Amino acid sequence: MAVSAVHLESDAFLVCMNHALSTEKEEVMGLCIGEVDTNRIVHIHSVIILRRSDKRKDRVEISPEQLSAASTEAEISFNFTHRLAEMTGRPVRVVGWYHSHPHITVWPSHVDVRTQAMYQMMDQGFVGLIFSCFIEDKNTKTGRVLYTCFQSVQAQKGSEYERIEIPIHVVPHEAIGKVCLESAVELPRILCQEEQDTYRRIHSLTHLDPITKIHNGSVFTKNLCSQMSAVSGPLLQWLEDRLEQNKQSIVELQKEKERLIQELASL
Amino acid sequence: MAASISGYTFSSVCYHSANSNSDHEGFLLGEVRQEETLSISDSQISSSEFLHIVEVHNHEPCAQLFSFYDYAGKVNEENLNRILKDRRKNVIGWYRFRRNTQQQMSFREQVIHKQLTNILGIPDLVFLLFSFISTANSSTHALEYVLFRPNRRYNQRISLSIPNLGNTSQQEYKVSSVPNTSKNYASVIKEHGAEFFDKDGVIKDIRAIFQVYSALQDKVQAVCAEVDQSERVKEKIQEEVKKLKEEISLRKRITAAEERRHQESLNTENHSLQDDSALSDSSSPPSLTRVLLQSPPLEVSLDWPPNSTALPLYPAAPAPPSAILLPRPQAVGSPGHPSPSLGLGNGDGSSSDSLNRQAIGQEDQLEEEEEEEEDEDEDSSEYENLVSERLQSPSLTDTAVSLGRPAALWPDGDTHSSGGSS
Repeated sequence: MAVSAVHLESDAFLVCMNHALSTEKEEVMGLCIGEVDTNRIVHIHSVIILRRSDKRKDRVEISPEQLSAASTEAEISFNFTHRLAEMTGRPVRVVGWYHSHPHITVWPSHVDVRTQAMYQMMDQGFVGLIFSCFIEDKNTKTGRVLYTCFQSVQAQKGSEYERIEIPIHVVPHEAIGKVCLESAVELPRILCQEEQDTYRRIHSLTHLDPITKIHNGSVFTKNLCSQMSAVSGPLLQWLEDRLEQNKQSIVELQKEKERLIQELASL
Repeated sequence: MAASISGYTFSSVCYHSANSNSDHEGFLLGEVRQEETLSISDSQISSSEFLHIVEVHNHEPCAQLFSFYDYAGKVNEENLNRILKDRRKNVIGWYRFRRNTQQQMSFREQVIHKQLTNILGIPDLVFLLFSFISTANSSTHALEYVLFRPNRRYNQRISLSIPNLGNTSQQEYKVSSVPNTSKNYASVIKEHGAEFFDKDGVIKDIRAIFQVYSALQDKVQAVCAEVDQSERVKEKIQEEVKKLKEEISLRKRITAAEERRHQESLNTENHSLQDDSALSDSSSPPSLTRVLLQSPPLEVSLDWPPNSTALPLYPAAPAPPSAILLPRPQAVGSPGHPSPSLGLGNGDGSSSDSLNRQAIGQEDQLEEEEEEEEDEDEDSSEYENLVSERLQSPSLTDTAVSLGRPAALWPDGDTHSSGGSS
């Protein structure tokens, strides 16, 4: 087995959850950034939300070539922007992908397993994560969020790919990393860019009459409003709450620090 | 009755829960409002229904367990006010996160809930229970959540929805106009429709809404930068506090060791004196003192190895009172972080490297204290919880069996054994 386990830092886990819970009508997707250690444990420090040019409800893969291009671009911009290599003293790279299964079982579909197998051809240690959400048992009113980690393996040459389970642990990380915060606030920007691209394509059609153009303009406005109220707004609220919580924690920690300094001085 | 919680608040609760080794709890802040829905049916022209909507806006996590109640489950209003401060008026409920337990309120939780209802003066206080289960090989994990309305009959459960983007409806764009050869139609819509376009032929609304979005995104970035800064400051102070605690415990250890050595050297002197004379009463006080000095320092739980600074895994939480007692043998089963008993999946039998081992060692150490604290917390009426904790290995296997069923059977709404839903 190329990978023995996956350690997902809790702030990266937070961003994955944010992303997965952002929409229940489509599968969302992103890349996992981190490194693999000498014991073949994959450490994921943060994630990158991916733009999808083809938004289909039931499928979410991008081709290995696209993935490779996206990964390279992500790594270059990532390392450059965040100077992560400097901070950790080690190079970090794309080590896996994650996507969401809204209203669907957490297990990867045949397409997912095949897609994962393709990615593994480029990188044996590549792992796949799936987040299943918006599941509710109507009888017991129990909601569920699940997550799993897998790789693909071919039982025999020429046969279908199968999923193999990889242990995954969410590792505590008390403070939210800068990289994770920045990934989290990328979501509204990505959504807006996707909308703008779609609108531009429509807008370039010249044979539309004024009524249709006005209609399309309204659709754009409506969609952007949706994004702002469903994503940007709650995101901003959460950030403000977090800031407030941090400020309070800092005050309390300062008091504790002073108390400890005094205690140390008295020894 | 309906309830909603934002995806960001939900994720934040999951995040705080993932960071804690033990159970995690906190308060739900938000508002309850009434919505009137009018409906027309065959029997009545119009009937209106009042729907209570519980909206959770955010949560106030408690830094540790027992912060506002004691082991007997008695709520301390002073501590409660200290935690909530002026957010007290926004409380609409509270939540608890537990691992490997049943989807039912425990006895203590019910007791606390009743008191909170009275103290906070919220007749319909809600309780959100999160329970976390994993497969035996830790490859798949499930977080189940139920919102209870304990003050109602039969401990009513409410559906909790997470509002989201839903359908971004890019299919709603029209790629072609409805064919129309009417000249009147064309001229009217061109003349009056011109209102909507600016001089570049761009719809004015588009620019306007984009401005709103831009301003909002700028604000998001700005607050994000502030949050980032506050996280770094918090991290730094946490690190300093941790170092101070280590320093203090180190000093205490050194002082204790020195005292011991001093006493021992005195004793050897005394012994050599005793050999000469027949007096022997001087031996008892020094040995008594020796026993006292040799008792473990109070901060035993915070005796982290000096080279652990590279792993900022845990908050420098104050030692729970029970840490002074002898630690229990290592507890099986673990929250979401690696534990040798659950298997790190080293299929070929290779051992983890020292860094990992150290991480595990620390986790187990903390796990011991937390597990120990937890078991002491549960009184006899919470036997179910206690049993489920002690029998973590078999219950995880059960979970593995039920979660290992073919995808079609789970989780499509079948109540499976491990969820334990009533």
